Amino acid sequence: MFSKEKIIVAYTLEKCISCNLERKRKFKEGDKLFLDALNCDSCKGIMRIEKIYGETIES
Amino acid sequence: MIKLDSSIAETMVDLTNIDFDQLFGFGDDSNPLMMLIWILPIILFIFYGQRIQLQVTSGEIKKSIKKLDSYRAEARKELIDYINKNLSLKQDPTKKIDQFLEYFTIMPVDMDPNGIVDKVRHTVRAREDYSRIHVKSLSPEIDEIELSRVLTLLEIATSLHMIYKVINHMFLTAKKQNNYPLILPLQMMLPFIMEEAEAITKAIPAFKLGQPIGDGIGPMVVGKMMLDSKKETVAFQTVLAKKEHAGRNLLLLKAEGPGSNVGRPGDAVESIVSSNKPDVIIMIDAALKLEGEDSASTARGFGAAIGGIGTERFQIEEIATKNNIPIFAIVIKQSVKEAITLMTKDIANQAENVHSQIEEMIQENTTAGQTVLLIGVGNTMGVPQ
Repeated sequence: MFSKEKIIVAYTLEKCISCNLERKRKFKEGDKLFLDALNCDSCKGIMRIEKIYGETIES
Repeated sequence: MIKLDSSIAETMVDLTNIDFDQLFGFGDDSNPLMMLIWILPIILFIFYGQRIQLQVTSGEIKKSIKKLDSYRAEARKELIDYINKNLSLKQDPTKKIDQFLEYFTIMPVDMDPNGIVDKVRHTVRAREDYSRIHVKSLSPEIDEIELSRVLTLLEIATSLHMIYKVINHMFLTAKKQNNYPLILPLQMMLPFIMEEAEAITKAIPAFKLGQPIGDGIGPMVVGKMMLDSKKETVAFQTVLAKKEHAGRNLLLLKAEGPGSNVGRPGDAVESIVSSNKPDVIIMIDAALKLEGEDSASTARGFGAAIGGIGTERFQIEEIATKNNIPIFAIVIKQSVKEAITLMTKDIANQAENVHSQIEEMIQENTTAGQTVLLIGVGNTMGVPQ
């Protein structure tokens, strides 16, 4: 009956250049596309910020 | 007790046996009460119908204007807060910001349209340059990325301020004149204006945080292709990288990120074509979707895919026509709100698809050894190269 409030949450998707492993986390101020991130958990390769996007959550 | 009940029953109206013909005088044309009941509203509506409609419509418009007022106040507050928080200021910026909000742009006379594009470009760029210099004067040490964010927030606040003022003016004029037809166009336009104003307001957080917006999908795709190549500035806030792909020479062009810029692709194309004429131009841009179309769907077409007031498009079309260069376009469809707010997951997920469509388009329309100018059009905030 009542429309739920929609909240947009920003996420940062990091991707390993070597093994393509993806890691999704909440957006942090200063994140920019294609910036190097922490090393890959799987192969210790370089991870890069691949995408920054918003997902709508109904509360 | 029984006697009392029967007397009450006698005085009560029998509701199960009402003669409606008699009550409303359907069968009798000369019933004066009935004539009044029917004729009074007709007379009322003939003479005061428009005023009644004006009152009803006014109520709805007033609510929207109140919302617009809150949007502009929010945008102004966010801008002042952002400046106070992020810039090292010598003085209180409020007075200067309020001055900026009142700035207007007078578009050139178009009675003689010859040369109007140059005049429009000159006027718009003069305003941009002026704003840049004056925001910089607030804090001379400000870096280019921060400056671009402040300028965009200023643009948002100015747009909302102007929308509020124009709508309020139209409403008050109609009310002052008690003129219902004057309020009709406003009533028809208002839902679209409200949608746009809401979208502009919701864009503020993304610009404050430097997040990529939906319009940035073109620069995002081209920026990724530029990553390992040497970049050079070819026009104001516009960068070029050269790369080889499948035997073709790729000239990759986008606005300089990660600031909130759209660059000057028109000037850049002019400069590139004069030194290294491409065989094909491919433009990647966000496009407004039609109602019913899926968000983040892509389409291919012909012609210069670039929005704005039209000066950049005119320049690119003119250069392409003079040099006989075909222009192809790939667009990623989205709503106004999606285009200026944080990029949605669906749009971001189209990046790989657009990249493969570019490769396909290059294969289909060029041969080995040819040069392709690939332009990622749009606001490049949060998107480096």
